[in-house]
Order: sequence, then structure tokens, then C-alpha cells
Amino acid sequence: MNHVLREPAHRVSPQAVPYWRLSAAVGDVVLVVAAVVAYAVIPDVPGWTLVLVLLVAAAAVAHVVLMPRIRFRVHRWEVTDTAVHTRSGWIGRETRIAPISRVQTVDSRQGALMRLFGLASITVTTASAAGPITVDCLDAETAREVVARLTAITAAAPEQDDAT
Amino acid sequence: MIPAPGDGWSRLSPRKLLLDPVKAIGQAIVPVVVALVGISQSGGRFGWVILPVAVLGPLLFGALPWLTTHYRLTDTQIQVRRGVLNKNTSTAPLDRVRSVDLEASLLHRILGLQKVEIGTGVDDDRITLDALAAADAHALRTTLLRRREAPEATPGTDADEVDGPVPVPVAAPAELARIDWSWLRFAPFSLARLVLLAGAVGVLSQFGDDLPIWNEETARSTWDWVMQFALVAVIAVLAVGGLAVWLVVSVTGYVVQWWRFLLVREHGSLHLTSGLFTTRSITVEEAKVRGVEMTEPLLMRVVGGAELSTLATGVEDGVTQVLPPCPRDVAIGVGETVLEHRGPLTDPLVEHGPLARRRAWLRQIRESLVVIAAGAVATWWFDLSWWWVGLGGLALLLVSAAVGEASYRHLGHALAGDHLVAGSGLVARVRTALETDGIIGWVVSQSWWQRRIGLADLVATTAAGHERVLVRDVRLEVAVELADAATPGLLTEFLAETA
Repeated sequence: MNHVLREPAHRVSPQAVPYWRLSAAVGDVVLVVAAVVAYAVIPDVPGWTLVLVLLVAAAAVAHVVLMPRIRFRVHRWEVTDTAVHTRSGWIGRETRIAPISRVQTVDSRQGALMRLFGLASITVTTASAAGPITVDCLDAETAREVVARLTAITAAAPEQDDAT
Repeated sequence: MIPAPGDGWSRLSPRKLLLDPVKAIGQAIVPVVVALVGISQSGGRFGWVILPVAVLGPLLFGALPWLTTHYRLTDTQIQVRRGVLNKNTSTAPLDRVRSVDLEASLLHRILGLQKVEIGTGVDDDRITLDALAAADAHALRTTLLRRREAPEATPGTDADEVDGPVPVPVAAPAELARIDWSWLRFAPFSLARLVLLAGAVGVLSQFGDDLPIWNEETARSTWDWVMQFALVAVIAVLAVGGLAVWLVVSVTGYVVQWWRFLLVREHGSLHLTSGLFTTRSITVEEAKVRGVEMTEPLLMRVVGGAELSTLATGVEDGVTQVLPPCPRDVAIGVGETVLEHRGPLTDPLVEHGPLARRRAWLRQIRESLVVIAAGAVATWWFDLSWWWVGLGGLALLLVSAAVGEASYRHLGHALAGDHLVAGSGLVARVRTALETDGIIGWVVSQSWWQRRIGLADLVATTAAGHERVLVRDVRLEVAVELADAATPGLLTEFLAETA
């Protein structure tokens, strides 16, 4: 009998899709424009570099169109009474689990662009530098509730052993 | 004498007044001499003004730290106050003291001083007292470490009795290891010092440019001379010479670093002392030691040597080398004593299988292919001989295949008692054993390639050592089983059965 980790219970906010799309587009547009300008400005470039520029543009379009959808399918999170469990990634997968009894800080973050879409991220840290768990792109209301709940649970925990 | 709890503020040792100015002059001597030479060449009228300033300046600046640094012990805390305008007080609760390290440079030792560093379990936040008289430093160390375990302290032994340079411990310290000069045979096989040597050669070659022997004519006549004799003979002489230099440097370095090395266990701590010129005395609280790491570098393995480090929380970088390069059995013995378990360092590891081996090979070969491609482009660009690309590429591929196979053989994992054991390393064989109590979370990551063949990287996060222990390229369900077994209960609610 083999066991695997089931996926965490909750999806992130659907607003995350346009947010990821916009932030990916901003970066990709800069890259493509730079490539096109370089192609146009530098004199006597060989013909095959045009193919290169077109490839970059195609990759950028694919990135903007596909990445947010896949990411939305992959990203999941769950906070139980004993542990925090997340899954993230779009090409790769990363699953993180940390016991609530070892949680040291709970931060929430909302960038300017995220505010536009009503999103917020939560980061939970433990005593390990390798262990922070980030739940990306919850809707702001849920994020507030989760932070409040996590803070309540960690505050209620008895004299905790954070393994330092 | 160190202050008793409740006493007022004490200063550091007055001998610091000698230490700091000497150090300050040492640091200032080059700019001062340069300034003096410059001034004397440009007329020399101000020389008599500059000289006293140049001498008195360092003296005054050197005296400042002694005048402005105070420390005291209260019943619950150690406090250090420093600064003139910005008063800065560092405080550490005594029951939070995790480590007390002593260090003395040659200058410290001539003056009978010790630098004391007190670690409190918070990384990067150590209290430094530079410097106390050696006896005081030892007394302070004993007091701090004993106070931490005050409840168990035997009645009748008082901190006041401890006055001499050698502390009188509560329980007889148990010796774990002491230097055995037959271990010197491992010194030439430990390449860590080679980096320093390369640096020194680099510095020397800077001066080499200025030497008269390196003009073109001598270079050409030297070349002719070299070609007259057999090139092979010259290379052989150079190689033998290099080896001889390396032997001397590595053995000297080993002796200087590990002179009078002694590792004992006392007051619930591991206590290491060593050093010929600069003496170090490092203390790690055993309750904070969450595991050990045994490293067998490629060359050392040929002669059966190994190194051992403890993985602890609350120490500056978490990884403390507690043994010099020494026989593998010694490293294992000390490691097992520290872990208080047999097995983690000797048990066979679970292998990760043919898919992991393929990935280990491909990872190395991919890297060498990139290098070969770069070489091919350069060859095409500069119109060089393709022979070199072929030969170099072939050699590189063979080496990377060998490294890939080695890195696979080092790979593995085990759950030995209550320790998670992970094998890793490319050319060095590294075995990391981490107490499962010290695990504070899991990360399972899969790249796209790993997902296609069902492998995963499992990371146990921890506050000790490198903050993470990686089990690379293990089958996903094995990874989940391992994590579940190492931290029972944590994963239970997230488990699902596969068909």
C-alpha cells in the first residue's frame, strides 16, 4: 500500500489568473521589445537572428497565455489545526508542509499590483531559513482570516518548542 | 576576578590597553609610513607635527574600547555596555547562553588574554568580550555554562573556587578525542588548504610581473633552454617541487591548526580546544546539537580518512568542525558518541535506483556538453584544430560520467533510530544524520523531468546546520513514506492511498 500526499484543500483566488497574466506580460513585453529594438538597431545582423527574435516572442506569448492557467490548477493551500500545507509551481511542483507548533511568524504582503486585483500573500516562517511557506494570491479577505486564525493558534499553543 | 552576580560594572582586562594600541599601530603602520615618506619628500617641514599624531592617534584610539566597555553579571543576565556617544547595551539571559567560545591570537597569548564570545541561540547575535585575562575568561566560561545547568549542579562546588587557568569542572570531563600525530598522514590529502595556497601564489605572481627575469628576451631564452632539455623532465621537476611545497604547507597548516587538539564533553556541552599560535576553545551545548555530518573527500577516502562536523542550532553558522582530518573509525566513534546512537553513520543507505542513477549521470554529462559546445564555438571562431575539441570533449565526458556514477553511489537515505540519514556529495562522500526532533517541516519538489519518471527531491527543513537536509532523486512514494515515518502524525491528514 503506497501513500502519496493528497492535494491541499483550497484553490487560490480566481483573481490570481489575471494578476499572474498581467505581471508576466509586463516582464515579457520588456524582453520582446528589447529583442526587437536590438534587431532593428544593430546593423548587418545575420538573417537567422530574426528567427531567434520570433522564437522569443512566441515563447513570451505562450508564457503569458498558458502559465497563469496551469499555475491556477497547481497552486493549492490548506491550514489545519496542526499543519500548513501548500503546493505551488507550474512547470515543476513544490509541496511544503510545516507543523503549526513550529511556526514563528505570520506575515501578509500585498503589492500595488496585487491590491488592484484584491489579492494578498501570506508567508509563514519557522526557525529554519529553508522552511518559509508562502501562500500566493489569496483574496484579501481570506488572507486576513487565515492570518487571524494562524495567529490565534500559534498564540494559544503552549510554551512551544521551536527546535532552536 | 570576574564580578559576582549583583556586583557593579567591571572593565575588561587592563592589559587590553597594550593589546589594542599594538593592533591599531599594526593596522596604521602602512598608511603612516606612506604619509611620512610622502611628507618628507615634499619638504619635510611638517614631519615633526605628523610623527606624534601618527603615534599617539593609534594609542588613543586603542585605549577607547577599554575605557568605554563594561560588563556585569546579574542573577539572571549578562550585560555588556559599550560606546561613548551611542551607548549600546547587549543583554543575554543566562539560561539562554548556548555556547561560550574562547579565542586567543598570538598577541593575546603573550599578554595572557582571551577573547570571549557568548552565543545565545539567536544566530548572528553573539556577545563578544575582547579581551579578559585568561583566568577570568575560563572562570566566566565555567560560571556561564554551569549556571545554565544550575538545577543539577552538585552542591559544594562554588564558582568562586574556580580561579586558576584550568577550570575545575563539576563532573569529570569525558574525553572524546585528542590529537594523534599519526593523523598527520591525512594532512596532504585534505585539499581545503590548497585554496589558500593558490591565493598566495596568485599574490606572489602579482610581484612576479615586476621581477626583471620576466622580460621577453629571458622568456625566449628560457623557452629555448626548456626545449633543449626534455620537456618531460622539466614538468616532472615542477610537479615534484609542487608536491614538496604542498607537503610542507599542508603538514604545517595541520600542526598549526590542530596543535593540542582536545575534544571533551562537560557541563552537557562539547568542548573543543586547539591551536598552536591562535588558540581556540569552542563550546557547543549538546542539547542544541541536532545531528552530525561526516565528510570523506575523494583523496581522503583513498587513505581511509574523514572529517566530522556537528549540526547545531544557535551557533554562528550551525556547522562546527569538531575533528581534524582523522581515520574514519575515529570520526564514526566520536559521531556515535555525540549522537548517542549507533548506526546513523554506519548503516547501509537505501539506494535510489536506476532512474536516480540515470539522472546523476545526465546531470554531469549535460554540464560537460555545455562546456564542449562552448569549446566548439571558440574553436570555430578562432579557427583552431578540431583535434583538441575531440580529445578534450572525450576526456571531459569520461570524467563527468565517473563523477555522475560517484555522485549516484553517494546518494541514499535511511531512518536509523530517531535519525534521518542522507547521503550526498559529488566527489566527496557526505553523510548527514539529523535528529528527527529537529525537523520542522518538509519540502517535496519535483522538476518537470522528475515528475515524468516519478522522482522527487525531499528536503527536511531544520534550524540546525545548513538549515536543510536534502534527499535527492528519491521515488515520490518513498519520499512521502520516509517523511511520514520520520515525523509521525505530521503528514497523516494529508496522506492519500494510491491504487
